[in-house]
Amino acid sequence: MTSKRDGRGGRAAGTSTAPGAPPQTDRELLRRYHEGGDRTAREELVQRHLPLVRALARRYAGRGEPLDDIEQVGAIGLLKAIDRYELSREVALTTYATPNVVGEIKRHFRDKGWAIRIPRGLQELNARMSSTVERLTSRMGRSPTIAEIARELTVGPEEVLEALEAGSAYAPMSLSGNPSSESDLDPMEALGGEDEAFERSEQRATLEPALHALPERDREILRKRFEEGLTQTQIAEQVGISQMHVSRLIRKSLARMRAELSG
Amino acid sequence: MPPERIELVTPAGRDWSPVVRLVLGGIGDRLDLGFDELDDLQLAVERLLAEAGAQEAVRISVEIVDGGVKAQIGPLNEVTIAEALQGPEPRPGELTLRRVLETVVDSFGVEDVDREGLYVRLDKVVHRSR
Repeated sequence: MTSKRDGRGGRAAGTSTAPGAPPQTDRELLRRYHEGGDRTAREELVQRHLPLVRALARRYAGRGEPLDDIEQVGAIGLLKAIDRYELSREVALTTYATPNVVGEIKRHFRDKGWAIRIPRGLQELNARMSSTVERLTSRMGRSPTIAEIARELTVGPEEVLEALEAGSAYAPMSLSGNPSSESDLDPMEALGGEDEAFERSEQRATLEPALHALPERDREILRKRFEEGLTQTQIAEQVGISQMHVSRLIRKSLARMRAELSG
Repeated sequence: MPPERIELVTPAGRDWSPVVRLVLGGIGDRLDLGFDELDDLQLAVERLLAEAGAQEAVRISVEIVDGGVKAQIGPLNEVTIAEALQGPEPRPGELTLRRVLETVVDSFGVEDVDREGLYVRLDKVVHRSR
Protein backbone atom coordinates (compact mmCIF):
# COMPACT_ATOMS: atom_id res chain seq x y z
CA MET A 1 0.00 0.00 0.00
CA THR A 2 1.28 3.42 -0.82
CA SER A 3 0.60 5.75 2.02
CA LYS A 4 0.59 9.53 1.40
CA ARG A 5 1.66 10.23 4.97
CA ASP A 6 4.18 8.52 7.14
CA GLY A 7 2.13 8.74 10.29
CA ARG A 8 4.16 11.70 11.61
CA GLY A 9 3.13 14.15 8.97
CA GLY A 10 6.07 13.32 6.73
CA ARG A 11 5.19 13.49 3.07
CA ALA A 12 5.69 10.38 1.00
CA ALA A 13 7.78 10.62 -2.13
CA GLY A 14 6.39 10.69 -5.62
CA THR A 15 9.40 8.69 -6.64
CA SER A 16 11.15 5.80 -5.06
CA THR A 17 14.76 4.77 -4.84
CA ALA A 18 14.16 1.43 -6.52
CA PRO A 19 12.03 1.02 -9.66
CA GLY A 20 8.73 -0.55 -8.78
CA ALA A 21 9.28 -0.22 -5.05
CA PRO A 22 6.79 1.82 -3.04
CA PRO A 23 7.87 5.38 -2.26
CA GLN A 24 9.69 5.67 1.01
CA THR A 25 8.58 8.05 3.68
CA ASP A 26 10.70 10.97 4.80
CA ARG A 27 11.43 9.14 8.02
CA GLU A 28 12.65 6.05 6.16
CA LEU A 29 14.92 8.19 4.01
CA LEU A 30 16.19 10.08 7.05
CA ARG A 31 16.94 6.79 8.72
CA ARG A 32 18.83 5.53 5.66
CA TYR A 33 20.89 8.74 5.63
CA HIS A 34 21.56 9.17 9.33
CA GLU A 35 22.02 5.54 10.28
CA GLY A 36 23.36 4.09 7.07
CA GLY A 37 25.15 7.10 5.62
CA ASP A 38 23.18 6.74 2.38
CA ARG A 39 23.70 10.03 0.56
CA THR A 40 21.24 9.11 -2.19
CA ALA A 41 18.56 9.19 0.49
CA ARG A 42 19.69 12.67 1.44
CA GLU A 43 19.55 13.75 -2.19
CA GLU A 44 16.06 12.33 -2.56
CA LEU A 45 14.93 14.26 0.50
CA VAL A 46 16.36 17.43 -0.99
CA GLN A 47 14.60 16.89 -4.31
CA ARG A 48 11.37 16.04 -2.54
CA HIS A 49 11.35 19.22 -0.49
CA LEU A 50 12.65 21.68 -3.04
CA PRO A 51 9.09 22.82 -3.84
CA LEU A 52 8.80 23.86 -0.19
CA VAL A 53 12.03 25.84 -0.52
CA ARG A 54 10.76 27.51 -3.71
CA ALA A 55 7.49 28.45 -2.07
CA LEU A 56 9.28 29.97 0.91
CA ALA A 57 11.80 31.75 -1.31
CA ARG A 58 9.01 33.38 -3.32
CA ARG A 59 7.89 35.20 -0.17
CA TYR A 60 11.18 37.06 -0.24
CA ALA A 61 11.19 37.86 -3.96
CA GLY A 62 11.10 41.47 -5.13
CA ARG A 63 13.53 42.69 -2.50
CA GLY A 64 16.39 43.28 -4.86
CA GLU A 65 17.77 39.77 -4.82
CA PRO A 66 17.30 37.31 -7.70
CA LEU A 67 14.80 34.58 -6.87
CA ASP A 68 17.27 31.90 -8.00
CA ASP A 69 19.75 33.10 -5.42
CA ILE A 70 17.16 33.12 -2.65
CA GLU A 71 16.15 29.56 -3.59
CA GLN A 72 19.76 28.44 -3.41
CA VAL A 73 20.15 29.95 0.02
CA GLY A 74 16.92 28.31 1.08
CA ALA A 75 18.21 24.98 -0.21
CA ILE A 76 21.19 25.34 2.09
CA GLY A 77 18.74 25.73 4.96
CA LEU A 78 17.00 22.57 3.83
CA LEU A 79 20.29 20.66 3.74
CA LYS A 80 21.12 21.83 7.24
CA ALA A 81 17.70 20.74 8.44
CA ILE A 82 18.17 17.29 6.93
CA ASP A 83 21.64 16.98 8.44
CA ARG A 84 20.58 18.17 11.89
CA TYR A 85 17.33 16.24 12.05
CA GLU A 86 17.26 13.84 14.96
CA LEU A 87 15.33 10.64 14.40
CA SER A 88 14.02 10.76 17.94
CA ARG A 89 12.05 13.87 17.01
CA GLU A 90 8.32 13.42 16.75
CA VAL A 91 8.03 16.09 14.12
CA ALA A 92 7.69 15.99 10.35
CA LEU A 93 10.71 17.03 8.31
CA THR A 94 8.69 19.77 6.60
CA THR A 95 7.81 21.25 9.99
CA TYR A 96 11.41 21.08 11.11
CA ALA A 97 12.84 22.35 7.83
CA THR A 98 10.60 25.39 7.37
CA PRO A 99 12.15 27.58 10.10
CA ASN A 100 15.60 26.43 9.00
CA VAL A 101 14.96 27.49 5.40
CA VAL A 102 13.38 30.80 6.39
CA GLY A 103 16.16 31.45 8.88
CA GLU A 104 18.80 30.85 6.26
CA ILE A 105 17.10 33.22 3.82
CA LYS A 106 16.73 35.92 6.45
CA ARG A 107 20.34 35.51 7.46
CA HIS A 108 21.32 35.91 3.83
CA PHE A 109 19.44 39.18 3.51
CA ARG A 110 20.90 40.40 6.75
CA ASP A 111 24.52 39.38 6.13
CA LYS A 112 24.86 39.58 2.39
CA GLY A 113 22.14 41.98 1.48
CA TRP A 114 21.76 45.24 3.30
CA ALA A 115 25.25 45.89 4.58
CA ILE A 116 24.03 48.52 7.00
CA ARG A 117 20.69 49.02 8.66
CA ILE A 118 18.39 50.72 6.16
CA PRO A 119 14.84 51.73 7.03
CA ARG A 120 12.37 49.37 5.45
CA GLY A 121 10.63 52.19 3.59
CA LEU A 122 13.85 53.10 1.82
CA GLN A 123 14.57 49.47 0.99
CA GLU A 124 11.16 49.16 -0.60
CA LEU A 125 11.53 52.42 -2.47
CA ASN A 126 14.92 51.27 -3.73
CA ALA A 127 13.40 48.03 -4.95
CA ARG A 128 10.61 49.92 -6.76
CA MET A 129 13.09 52.34 -8.24
CA SER A 130 14.97 49.74 -10.19
CA SER A 131 11.97 48.86 -12.33
CA THR A 132 10.93 52.50 -12.52
CA VAL A 133 14.29 53.54 -13.97
CA GLU A 134 14.02 50.78 -16.56
CA ARG A 135 10.45 51.71 -17.47
CA LEU A 136 11.24 55.41 -17.83
CA THR A 137 14.40 54.71 -19.80
CA SER A 138 12.42 52.57 -22.20
CA ARG A 139 9.61 55.11 -22.46
CA MET A 140 11.80 58.19 -22.93
CA GLY A 141 14.72 56.66 -24.79
CA ARG A 142 17.17 58.13 -22.31
CA SER A 143 18.15 57.87 -18.70
CA PRO A 144 15.57 59.58 -16.45
CA THR A 145 16.47 62.42 -14.12
CA ILE A 146 16.03 62.27 -10.38
CA ALA A 147 13.01 64.57 -10.66
CA GLU A 148 11.39 62.30 -13.26
CA ILE A 149 11.95 59.22 -11.12
CA ALA A 150 10.49 61.08 -8.14
CA ARG A 151 7.38 62.11 -10.08
CA GLU A 152 6.83 58.57 -11.32
CA LEU A 153 7.10 57.21 -7.79
CA THR A 154 5.15 60.14 -6.30
CA VAL A 155 7.89 60.87 -3.80
CA GLY A 156 10.30 63.78 -3.37
CA PRO A 157 13.70 63.97 -5.10
CA GLU A 158 15.38 63.76 -1.71
CA GLU A 159 13.70 60.44 -1.05
CA VAL A 160 14.90 59.16 -4.42
CA LEU A 161 18.46 60.18 -3.59
CA GLU A 162 18.24 58.58 -0.18
CA ALA A 163 16.86 55.39 -1.66
CA LEU A 164 19.61 55.37 -4.27
CA GLU A 165 22.13 55.68 -1.50
CA ALA A 166 20.38 52.91 0.37
CA GLY A 167 20.98 50.82 -2.73
CA SER A 168 24.68 51.46 -2.40
CA ALA A 169 24.52 49.87 1.01
CA TYR A 170 23.06 46.80 -0.61
CA ALA A 171 25.85 44.52 -1.68
CA PRO A 172 24.47 41.40 -3.30
CA MET A 173 26.99 38.61 -3.49
CA SER A 174 26.47 36.32 -6.44
CA LEU A 175 25.53 32.86 -5.33
CA SER A 176 25.08 31.44 -8.77
CA GLY A 177 26.35 33.97 -11.26
CA ASN A 178 29.99 33.05 -11.14
CA PRO A 179 30.70 30.29 -13.61
CA SER A 180 34.44 30.59 -13.16
CA SER A 181 36.64 28.00 -11.61
CA GLU A 182 36.65 30.11 -8.47
CA SER A 183 32.97 29.59 -7.98
CA ASP A 184 33.43 27.85 -4.68
CA LEU A 185 35.21 30.81 -3.24
CA ASP A 186 33.73 33.88 -1.72
CA PRO A 187 34.45 36.63 -4.26
CA MET A 188 36.51 38.48 -1.69
CA GLU A 189 38.57 35.39 -1.02
CA ALA A 190 39.10 34.92 -4.72
CA LEU A 191 40.75 38.28 -5.14
CA GLY A 192 44.38 38.49 -5.89
CA GLY A 193 45.35 34.90 -6.00
CA GLU A 194 47.02 35.22 -9.35
CA ASP A 195 48.86 38.44 -8.84
CA GLU A 196 51.08 38.06 -5.85
CA ALA A 197 54.20 38.03 -7.96
CA PHE A 198 53.60 41.57 -9.13
CA GLU A 199 55.39 44.38 -7.48
CA ARG A 200 52.50 46.18 -5.85
CA SER A 201 54.28 49.50 -5.78
CA GLU A 202 54.41 49.49 -9.56
CA GLN A 203 50.79 48.49 -9.88
CA ARG A 204 49.14 51.09 -7.70
CA ALA A 205 48.13 53.25 -10.61
CA THR A 206 46.59 50.45 -12.61
CA LEU A 207 43.57 48.37 -11.81
CA GLU A 208 44.28 45.79 -14.44
CA PRO A 209 45.90 42.93 -12.47
CA ALA A 210 43.04 42.73 -10.01
CA LEU A 211 40.60 42.66 -12.91
CA HIS A 212 41.41 39.04 -13.57
CA ALA A 213 40.44 38.05 -10.07
CA LEU A 214 36.86 39.25 -10.45
CA PRO A 215 33.97 36.92 -11.31
CA GLU A 216 33.61 36.57 -15.06
CA ARG A 217 30.28 38.39 -15.27
CA ASP A 218 31.59 41.40 -13.35
CA ARG A 219 34.70 41.46 -15.52
CA GLU A 220 32.54 41.38 -18.63
CA ILE A 221 30.44 44.27 -17.36
CA LEU A 222 33.57 46.34 -16.72
CA ARG A 223 34.87 45.50 -20.18
CA LYS A 224 31.61 46.55 -21.82
CA ARG A 225 31.52 49.80 -19.87
CA PHE A 226 35.13 50.92 -20.01
CA GLU A 227 36.44 49.29 -23.17
CA GLU A 228 33.43 49.13 -25.46
CA GLY A 229 32.01 52.33 -23.97
CA LEU A 230 28.49 50.98 -23.62
CA THR A 231 26.11 52.83 -21.33
CA GLN A 232 24.73 51.23 -18.21
CA THR A 233 21.38 50.94 -19.93
CA GLN A 234 22.89 49.06 -22.88
CA ILE A 235 24.82 46.75 -20.56
CA ALA A 236 21.72 46.10 -18.49
CA GLU A 237 19.85 45.03 -21.63
CA GLN A 238 22.67 42.76 -22.79
CA VAL A 239 23.35 41.12 -19.44
CA GLY A 240 19.71 40.91 -18.40
CA ILE A 241 19.92 42.79 -15.12
CA SER A 242 18.68 46.22 -14.09
CA GLN A 243 20.57 49.43 -14.77
CA MET A 244 20.83 50.05 -11.05
CA HIS A 245 22.32 46.61 -10.57
CA VAL A 246 24.89 47.35 -13.30
CA SER A 247 25.78 50.56 -11.47
CA ARG A 248 26.20 48.72 -8.18
CA LEU A 249 28.33 45.98 -9.72
CA ILE A 250 30.64 48.45 -11.44
CA ARG A 251 31.12 50.45 -8.27
CA LYS A 252 31.67 47.36 -6.20
CA SER A 253 34.10 45.79 -8.67
CA LEU A 254 36.23 48.92 -8.90
CA ALA A 255 36.30 49.26 -5.13
CA ARG A 256 37.33 45.64 -4.75
CA MET A 257 40.06 45.99 -7.30
CA ARG A 258 41.36 49.13 -5.64
CA ALA A 259 41.31 47.46 -2.24
CA GLU A 260 43.27 44.56 -3.66
CA LEU A 261 45.90 46.85 -5.09
CA SER A 262 46.21 48.62 -1.77
CA GLY A 263 47.18 45.29 -0.28
CA MET B 1 25.50 86.60 -10.03
CA PRO B 2 27.87 84.65 -7.75
CA PRO B 3 29.01 81.27 -9.03
CA GLU B 4 26.86 78.35 -7.99
CA ARG B 5 29.39 76.32 -6.09
CA ILE B 6 29.22 73.69 -3.40
CA GLU B 7 32.33 73.00 -1.35
CA LEU B 8 32.78 70.06 0.91
CA VAL B 9 35.68 68.90 3.01
CA THR B 10 35.42 65.22 3.75
CA PRO B 11 37.61 62.92 5.82
CA ALA B 12 39.46 60.59 3.48
CA GLY B 13 38.07 57.11 3.59
CA ARG B 14 35.20 55.08 2.27
CA ASP B 15 32.99 55.67 5.28
CA TRP B 16 32.21 59.12 3.99
CA SER B 17 31.58 58.20 0.37
CA PRO B 18 27.80 57.92 0.91
CA VAL B 19 27.70 61.51 2.14
CA VAL B 20 29.64 62.69 -0.88
CA ARG B 21 27.34 60.75 -3.21
CA LEU B 22 24.28 62.30 -1.58
CA VAL B 23 25.67 65.79 -2.07
CA LEU B 24 26.51 65.04 -5.69
CA GLY B 25 23.05 63.56 -6.10
CA GLY B 26 21.50 66.80 -4.94
CA ILE B 27 23.62 68.75 -7.38
CA GLY B 28 22.73 66.31 -10.15
CA ASP B 29 19.07 66.80 -9.38
CA ARG B 30 19.43 70.58 -9.64
CA LEU B 31 21.20 70.13 -12.98
CA ASP B 32 18.65 67.65 -14.31
CA LEU B 33 21.38 65.09 -14.85
CA GLY B 34 20.17 61.76 -16.14
CA PHE B 35 20.47 58.81 -13.79
CA ASP B 36 23.49 57.43 -15.64
CA GLU B 37 25.17 60.85 -15.93
CA LEU B 38 24.82 61.34 -12.20
CA ASP B 39 26.15 57.87 -11.56
CA ASP B 40 29.17 58.63 -13.77
CA LEU B 41 29.96 61.81 -11.86
CA GLN B 42 29.61 60.04 -8.53
CA LEU B 43 31.85 57.22 -9.72
CA ALA B 44 34.55 59.61 -10.93
CA VAL B 45 34.66 61.47 -7.62
CA GLU B 46 34.52 58.24 -5.65
CA ARG B 47 37.43 56.77 -7.60
CA LEU B 48 39.52 59.88 -7.06
CA LEU B 49 38.72 59.95 -3.35
CA ALA B 50 40.09 56.43 -3.18
CA GLU B 51 43.43 57.93 -4.25
CA ALA B 52 43.66 60.27 -1.32
CA GLY B 53 46.62 58.32 0.00
CA ALA B 54 47.66 59.43 3.44
CA GLN B 55 45.60 62.62 3.34
CA GLU B 56 43.38 63.17 6.34
CA ALA B 57 40.86 65.23 4.45
CA VAL B 58 39.97 65.95 0.85
CA ARG B 59 38.26 69.04 -0.44
CA ILE B 60 35.62 68.68 -3.11
CA SER B 61 34.44 71.71 -4.97
CA VAL B 62 31.59 71.37 -7.45
CA GLU B 63 30.63 74.32 -9.58
CA ILE B 64 27.68 74.57 -11.88
CA VAL B 65 28.97 76.12 -15.08
CA ASP B 66 27.40 76.87 -18.41
CA GLY B 67 26.61 73.55 -20.02
CA GLY B 68 27.63 71.32 -17.19
CA VAL B 69 29.45 70.81 -13.97
CA LYS B 70 33.06 71.28 -12.98
CA ALA B 71 34.55 69.57 -9.97
CA GLN B 72 37.90 69.83 -8.26
CA ILE B 73 39.10 67.17 -5.84
CA GLY B 74 42.24 67.25 -3.76
CA PRO B 75 44.76 66.97 -2.32
CA LEU B 76 45.34 63.50 -3.67
CA ASN B 77 48.24 61.08 -3.71
CA GLU B 78 50.67 62.74 -6.08
CA VAL B 79 52.51 59.72 -7.40
CA THR B 80 49.40 57.66 -8.02
CA ILE B 81 47.49 60.42 -9.76
CA ALA B 82 50.45 61.50 -11.85
CA GLU B 83 51.01 57.94 -13.04
CA ALA B 84 47.33 57.40 -13.66
CA LEU B 85 46.57 60.61 -15.47
CA GLN B 86 49.80 61.49 -17.19
CA GLY B 87 51.21 58.08 -17.97
CA PRO B 88 50.96 56.28 -21.31
CA GLU B 89 47.63 55.42 -22.91
CA PRO B 90 46.10 52.30 -21.35
CA ARG B 91 46.65 49.20 -23.43
CA PRO B 92 43.59 47.39 -24.82
CA GLY B 93 42.14 45.25 -22.05
CA GLU B 94 43.83 47.29 -19.37
CA LEU B 95 41.57 49.02 -16.88
CA THR B 96 43.26 52.03 -15.34
CA LEU B 97 42.01 55.00 -13.38
CA ARG B 98 42.65 57.02 -16.50
CA ARG B 99 40.39 54.79 -18.57
CA VAL B 100 37.67 54.94 -15.95
CA LEU B 101 37.77 58.73 -15.92
CA GLU B 102 37.89 58.92 -19.73
CA THR B 103 34.69 56.91 -19.79
CA VAL B 104 32.68 58.70 -17.14
CA VAL B 105 33.58 62.39 -17.54
CA ASP B 106 34.14 64.62 -20.56
CA SER B 107 37.55 65.91 -19.54
CA PHE B 108 39.89 65.85 -16.60
CA GLY B 109 43.37 66.87 -15.61
CA VAL B 110 45.65 68.02 -12.87
CA GLU B 111 44.57 71.56 -12.06
CA ASP B 112 46.79 72.44 -9.17
CA VAL B 113 49.52 71.08 -6.98
CA ASP B 114 50.73 72.13 -3.58
CA ARG B 115 52.87 70.56 -0.91
CA GLU B 116 49.93 68.42 0.22
CA GLY B 117 49.27 66.81 -3.13
CA LEU B 118 47.51 67.15 -6.46
CA TYR B 119 44.14 68.66 -7.25
CA VAL B 120 42.26 67.04 -10.10
CA ARG B 121 39.67 68.77 -12.25
CA LEU B 122 36.68 66.93 -13.68
CA ASP B 123 34.33 68.33 -16.32
CA LYS B 124 30.97 66.78 -17.02
CA VAL B 125 28.83 68.13 -19.84
CA VAL B 126 25.10 68.06 -19.26
CA HIS B 127 23.21 66.80 -22.28
CA ARG B 128 20.03 68.79 -22.11
CA SER B 129 17.70 66.87 -24.39
CA ARG B 130 14.85 67.02 -21.89
